[in-house]
Amino acid sequence: MSNMALICTLCFVAIASFISMRQKLGLEKEILIGTLRSAVQLLFIGYVLHFVFETSHPAFIVIIILCMILIAAWNAGAKAKHVRGIRSRIAITLACTEGITMAILLGLRIITPTPQYIIPVSGIIIGSSMIVCGLLLNHMKREMETARGEMEMLLALGATEKQAVHSSLRRSVRASMIPTVDGMKTVGLVQLPGMMTGMIVAGADPIEAVRYQILIMFVLASSAAMTAMVFGLISYKLWFTKDARLLPLLPAEDQ
Amino acid sequence: MFRGITAEIGPHDQIALLGGSGQGKSTLLRILSLLEPFDNGTVLLEGRSSTEWRPQSWRRKITYVAQKPVMRSGSVACNLRTVSMLHGTPFEDELARRYMEAAGLGQTDWNKQAADLSGGEQQRLALVRSLMLQPELLLLDEITSSLDPGSKQAVEKLLLEWVSGTTNGTARAYLWITHDLEQARVISDQVWFMAEGCLLEKANTAAFFENPASEQARLFIRGMQDERGKSHE
Repeated sequence: MSNMALICTLCFVAIASFISMRQKLGLEKEILIGTLRSAVQLLFIGYVLHFVFETSHPAFIVIIILCMILIAAWNAGAKAKHVRGIRSRIAITLACTEGITMAILLGLRIITPTPQYIIPVSGIIIGSSMIVCGLLLNHMKREMETARGEMEMLLALGATEKQAVHSSLRRSVRASMIPTVDGMKTVGLVQLPGMMTGMIVAGADPIEAVRYQILIMFVLASSAAMTAMVFGLISYKLWFTKDARLLPLLPAEDQ
Repeated sequence: MFRGITAEIGPHDQIALLGGSGQGKSTLLRILSLLEPFDNGTVLLEGRSSTEWRPQSWRRKITYVAQKPVMRSGSVACNLRTVSMLHGTPFEDELARRYMEAAGLGQTDWNKQAADLSGGEQQRLALVRSLMLQPELLLLDEITSSLDPGSKQAVEKLLLEWVSGTTNGTARAYLWITHDLEQARVISDQVWFMAEGCLLEKANTAAFFENPASEQARLFIRGMQDERGKSHE
């Protein structure tokens, strides 16, 4: 893609800004910040990847994956800041999911152990797992309000934290996995996934592109399940105080 | 909300907790069952502070029954079995039937969905569910508020019988929040009266109603009697 063509893409930003101004949505500043950030972040990562692919040193791959995990954990954890220790639990979950999935992918020689494969696939795994964690947190937050009575009733009858939170956690794990499972059903019919589109644009054979996309879809399904399960298991206690009371509800304006 | 509460509950105590709305009666019960945090002070059970107990063991001995019954999704039987499910103990069918009968729910179909029961039936089922835990102290938060007079009497009778018995050799007791002075007279031998952010009076029930020590209690009793008079007109 030529520099000129890249600059021309700004006309899409102009359309968004124009609509925002015209409709008085007040989003111009947000759009400007979003545009600048996405351009700078993507160009930066482009140069980083260029460098890493050239040197091909495993240490760089590990550093990049760790950065991805930390940023994703920070981002997803913002949904439940009042729950102490939630970000470290997300980071542990993402590391587990990434580690196990990558071990299978490399162990069965499904992908070759080069940065060109490991880094983009890791990005997809960590990104989608981050979304699963975020959904689970959102759902648990709602459960803490709607199912509070049920949980307290069980606690009052001498239930452990795990017993009290069990039904809510199950509903939350389910809810966090549904988008991934639904996505598997409609992929290719409604939307062409980014990775496949990218490969086709870059000149790959569509059949080859589809093969990789199938791999990605299956990886996403298993990593969503793994993430939801591990995260639920290691984070449920955080919704309780040390002496097994429910965390107090946040005042409405802080939510 | 309140401060300076020093009180003791002994074997076979039948205490009515009275006071206007917003005095912290429910909060006090929730603190005693370790469901609510408290800023200062200690709560002791058998001479040991609440921090030395596993919260689960504490709550098995001191059980809170909320005013608003919460049913587990599933049948009446599933709700009755909650305690045996949580603690891995065998379900005492005979005992459950006896309590259900005494609470006026003898005719209730155990296969019925608990959510389909009326408010009053749910309130009684929630009580029976807690009784199945065989606690030593029951903390009752207006548990007859949705009941008709007949069911209310049945529950009062059930609990009066319950409190005179023992759990594994230990005497039982209850602390019962009620807004019904007639009920307080029937079910209690002591009254705790909360007002002005503290436990203003602790007295023998008969003495409390005949000759309350504080002006607040006098006003409270008169107010409740007036209200009752109006609702009967």
